[in-house]
Amino acid sequence: MAYFGNNQQRGELQELFADLNDLNFEKKKEAIKKVIAYMTVGKDVSQLFQSVIKCLEFQDIEMKKLIYLYIVNYSRQKPDDAIMVIQNFRKDVRKSENPLVRALAIRTFGCLRVPKLNEYLIEPLKDCIQDDDPYVRKTAVLCVPKVFEVSPELCPALLELLQKLLEKESNALVLANLIQSMREIEVVNGKQLILMNPKIIQKLLLAIDECMEWGQIFILDYLATYDPVESKQAEIIIERTLPRLSHINPTVTFCAVKLILKYLDHLDNGDLVKNLCKKISPSLISLLSWNQPEIQYTILRNISLILQKFPILFENEVKVFFCSFNEPYYIKYEKLDIMVRICDSKNFNQVLNELMIYLNEADPHFVRKTIKSIGKIAIMYDKALSEAVQILVEFAKNVQQANEPVQELFIQMQILYRKNRNLYKTNDSLKILFNILEYANEPEAKSACAWIVGEFAEFIPKSVDKMKEYIDNFLIEDRLVQLQLLTSGVKLYIKYPSLCSALIQQLINSAKDSFNPDVRDRTYIYWRLLSTDPEIVKNLVCSVPANSSQFQKDIRLWETKDLIIALENMGSISNLFHKLPNQLYKNIKIRNNHQQEAKIYKADEKQDIPQKEQEIKKEDQNQQIQQQPKQDFDLLNFDEPVSKSNNNKIDVYDLI
Amino acid sequence: MISSIVFINHKGEILIYRVYKDDITRSETTQFCAKIVATKENKECPIINIDGTSFIHITIKDIVVLATTKVNVNVAMTLQFLYQLVKVCRAYFGGEFDENCIKKHFVLIYEILDEVMDYGVPQIADADLLKKYIQEGGLKPELMNDVEKLKQLTSQATGATSWRPPNLVYRKNEVYLDVIESVNVLMSVKGTILKADVAGSIQVKCLLSGMPECKFGMNDKLLMQREPRKPGQTTTDKGITIDDLKFHQCVKLPKFDKERAITFIPPDGQFELMTYRITENINLPFKIMPVYNELGKNKLEIRVKIKSIFEKNLFATNLAIKIPVPKNTANVNTNSAIGKAKHEPDQQGVIWRIKKYPGDFEALLRCEIDLGSTTNQQPWIKPPISMEFQVPMFTASGLRVRFLRIYEKAGYKPTKWIRYITKAGEYLHRL
Repeated sequence: MAYFGNNQQRGELQELFADLNDLNFEKKKEAIKKVIAYMTVGKDVSQLFQSVIKCLEFQDIEMKKLIYLYIVNYSRQKPDDAIMVIQNFRKDVRKSENPLVRALAIRTFGCLRVPKLNEYLIEPLKDCIQDDDPYVRKTAVLCVPKVFEVSPELCPALLELLQKLLEKESNALVLANLIQSMREIEVVNGKQLILMNPKIIQKLLLAIDECMEWGQIFILDYLATYDPVESKQAEIIIERTLPRLSHINPTVTFCAVKLILKYLDHLDNGDLVKNLCKKISPSLISLLSWNQPEIQYTILRNISLILQKFPILFENEVKVFFCSFNEPYYIKYEKLDIMVRICDSKNFNQVLNELMIYLNEADPHFVRKTIKSIGKIAIMYDKALSEAVQILVEFAKNVQQANEPVQELFIQMQILYRKNRNLYKTNDSLKILFNILEYANEPEAKSACAWIVGEFAEFIPKSVDKMKEYIDNFLIEDRLVQLQLLTSGVKLYIKYPSLCSALIQQLINSAKDSFNPDVRDRTYIYWRLLSTDPEIVKNLVCSVPANSSQFQKDIRLWETKDLIIALENMGSISNLFHKLPNQLYKNIKIRNNHQQEAKIYKADEKQDIPQKEQEIKKEDQNQQIQQQPKQDFDLLNFDEPVSKSNNNKIDVYDLI
Repeated sequence: MISSIVFINHKGEILIYRVYKDDITRSETTQFCAKIVATKENKECPIINIDGTSFIHITIKDIVVLATTKVNVNVAMTLQFLYQLVKVCRAYFGGEFDENCIKKHFVLIYEILDEVMDYGVPQIADADLLKKYIQEGGLKPELMNDVEKLKQLTSQATGATSWRPPNLVYRKNEVYLDVIESVNVLMSVKGTILKADVAGSIQVKCLLSGMPECKFGMNDKLLMQREPRKPGQTTTDKGITIDDLKFHQCVKLPKFDKERAITFIPPDGQFELMTYRITENINLPFKIMPVYNELGKNKLEIRVKIKSIFEKNLFATNLAIKIPVPKNTANVNTNSAIGKAKHEPDQQGVIWRIKKYPGDFEALLRCEIDLGSTTNQQPWIKPPISMEFQVPMFTASGLRVRFLRIYEKAGYKPTKWIRYITKAGEYLHRL
């Protein structure tokens, strides 16, 4: 039969109308199929409503399903006509001997979503919740949230029935659906519906062993939101969950991991915690190499969270995150990100060697990210610095065009030079960079180049000519580059006063009338300082900062206080976007009873709280530093509030 | 949970559209089709968020299978469900899943969608089970009127052993076991192993009567240590270390967790009993030794030596070694003692194929590559050399099946068959 009638003619609806009312059964059935096909492609066939529902008188189940599909789709548009089918539904639910038909009717009935029809639904639904057949019960149970969403006022009796069912239900599948359905209602209602007690927990744990994979997920997911009352209880639940780590469905495994990780906080036996970590780790690693890339991706996106709270799980496992050549790039990006996070003072060599290979990849974004990662590692570990520079210099040697990775190369090299000024000597790095300076075209990269020219003027042949080239184009540059050019130009002037006097004049002339207040102000300040006391300027712009270790070393993704909430939502959409649920969904309120610090599980001794606090302080500092990474920009940056405790800066204000 | 399931073709046209919750309009979905699917942007990330609506999707050949939602669902579960849905469809369509068969069977697909998910919550999604009560063209009227049969069906579907129907009878009881291992290895330019693992799978074809209880044993080190040594018995096989195991739903997991014993009531027919992952003491069946030389501006030479490292009486079959060559390759001269090597431009490489390759044997291939001149001065980004092969009766992990015991009330003695095979997974050597 024709599925997509591309050239649908005018008479088609009439034709269908005629076929639907034909006496021939086969003709009717074909017509119904056509109606569904039109519905699928988005054509409005609601006018046929009455004719379609007339066909319900036949007992053909295939046709019945199609008609129900149609009714569900259009019932909200035609509520008055929909009333006509109520009798049919009620008859099916009450009279049919066939459990499949009863379930189908109640399932569809629930989907009508017409408030005034719901009152007719309550009684049959009550019957179905108490049906003998588990198949009907599992369907009826899911019907309650459907009704609740549209007409909550009709539901108190139903909710009570659900709570009773939770007490006495023995079928695992029905139980799993029941939990899921009650949770859905809890979300809409905002009230607690599932009243947990040891008996129910026991029941749920038993059901996990018996129900199919999805049911296992619902139950594990639900238990993961529960806070065990004592260590012993947590231990029992964990023990019953452990076998799920070997389930073939990756989500079951992942939910089990989530539950166990959450409950670890409630255990008071340190050895047990260590043992459990040993059991979880291989399971989790299997998921990371899952052969469905989409699933692998979701797991990888959650790793940063796990890594932050449970570094112990990935001890010595950095190799797991090495990229394969044929993987999709969205996986490679994640792996790269995690490799930087997992990098430590022991394995940075291994990581750098691997990153070096990625510099040969075809995708420019990926190579750029790799360069950035190399830079990050070098900043974090002093010992990695020289090796990182060596890798980047090798890369710079082969640069032949202005592409994305080159931009990042300049940015990272600038940061590394800032960290250790003596690096310019290593492997002729400065000379090699100077040769490719022309390839910088992004503002940040250009500004890095301008900084390099100013900072190392005395080691660069023709640095003044290069600076002139930049200053000639001053007006068309980005603000960021302009600000850096001002500082670098002044630096150059301090270094070669006679050679650069014309240059500095040109610079000031171009910059003093800038529309940008930052640029203008900085110009005037330098101008006045230079005309009063060049010595101060020299101290200001040419001094090598004594403390070069002030770099952003913290790469933790989550605020420590958010860890527990994030962990509870592991696997969900919000976590995938590295956000808290309430940041992504306005209607979600997160429980706010987690005042305590998140415990961090390390391979060696567990860290204690005071140390933690220090770290947090450090983090705050780091954040400030992050906001002003380019120190000499900020010296004279009036955008920033004065409150920033930067000593140099206060000096400057005094001087002015 | 999930608001709708949509099948979309590569042009962004909707093929199947099933709504479970009407909080997402059709136009939001068509927007996703037009903006994301038609522009191929969906290849960049499996989940896309537009104005609070999340589009979670997988791509099977040309078909995008999409789940939409407005709430904070479990993404891994949704993705797994989509994969399972495709698996169910394939089971109905004889392994096919493309635009044609979706269009041809759309009525059936709607029926399936009605059953596998309710109100956005995944339900019964096991093809064998679904086939019992969803059939193309509707169920036979005899079944529809036989209340006893129907009750049996629903109790199986909701019961604890939903995967096996009761009262099966086979005249000849047989079990086939296939141990299939994929070796993944990544070797550095210098030939050191960067990472290596074995992803194994045990496939079972079960033709057994009644409700048999099976117990499966292999040379798992942890299990063998638990077993009491029989006096006088000396065994050299100490067993192997298995990093991780994942089992079919029929395996009793709590029992495995406690005793490390694998016990199960099998489904009827073919199924994957378990998968496993091993990283220790892997016997790599092949060693690749490449040498790369630039002979001039327009000439390259790549020599590849391979060596098989398994017993002489075994054979590897269907070897294909792919040696990458630059895009601007004009001509390749190959020279090898065995097999055939040919430059295949569409694969951007020289493929060296050898039908049968003995154990403990070395072979060499020499490729001289002439390059055409190009305007593109970018240096060539060398992909790794990759290799495909199969080695029957060999396991890279050293895994051996020790027993498969079957207990059934009727006390029959089934015939048991077993095969081992090792294949190349991602067998890569960086050049």
